[in-house]
Amino acid sequence: MSLDTQTKLAIYRCFAETGQRPSLEAVAETVGSDVSSVREAYVSLRAERVLVLEPDGESIRMAPPFSGVPTQHVVIVDERKYFANCAWDSFGIPAALHRPGRVHSRCEQSGEPLSLEIGLEGPPPCSWLFHCLVPAAKWWDDIVFT
Amino acid sequence: MLFFRSEERVREWCAAHGYPMRPLVTMNQLWTLATTWYSTRLQENSRRPQADEMRSIFADLGLEGDFWDPQSDTFG
Repeated sequence: MSLDTQTKLAIYRCFAETGQRPSLEAVAETVGSDVSSVREAYVSLRAERVLVLEPDGESIRMAPPFSGVPTQHVVIVDERKYFANCAWDSFGIPAALHRPGRVHSRCEQSGEPLSLEIGLEGPPPCSWLFHCLVPAAKWWDDIVFT
Repeated sequence: MLFFRSEERVREWCAAHGYPMRPLVTMNQLWTLATTWYSTRLQENSRRPQADEMRSIFADLGLEGDFWDPQSDTFG
């Protein structure tokens, strides 16, 4: 398995198991490599659009659907708390974990809270809506804004 | 990428911020997108959908047009 793949799996498994982002050093230890090599793997993973870093080049901002920082989109799965990057990713966490969960978020206009149980087959009938401002061709121009 | 209680709340939000209103997505459509994107994300051989796959996924959900085209140059 390539170092890029090992690095990706180490990051995603950390998020899945803890709800938290791992440090660069922790990833390096997990994959049995040095931080310099792992930092290079981070660059590859960013190019594959499976990792977004903070400006320091090593702190993980996003490993979609997981967020490395607190957001308004909170997902509870098996009593563990996760932050999602956006509405889409809040559904993505139960999907990635293959576990039922509960999504807590809000209506962006009214502030009305959303609390939605997500089963293995998805959400129950629900009249809430998802709105994406940025066209698909531009999502990764500024993925944090998207 | 945000949740809204209703189409009217989306309309109000867009007007308040001077944003264009985009196509709306139902919760069932969003679940399909989420599972398509992420159900294999923790596996060794996972990868994001490529542009042609994205176009097909969106079309299957009735999400068509330039807005959903990952290679559209309509938006500058």
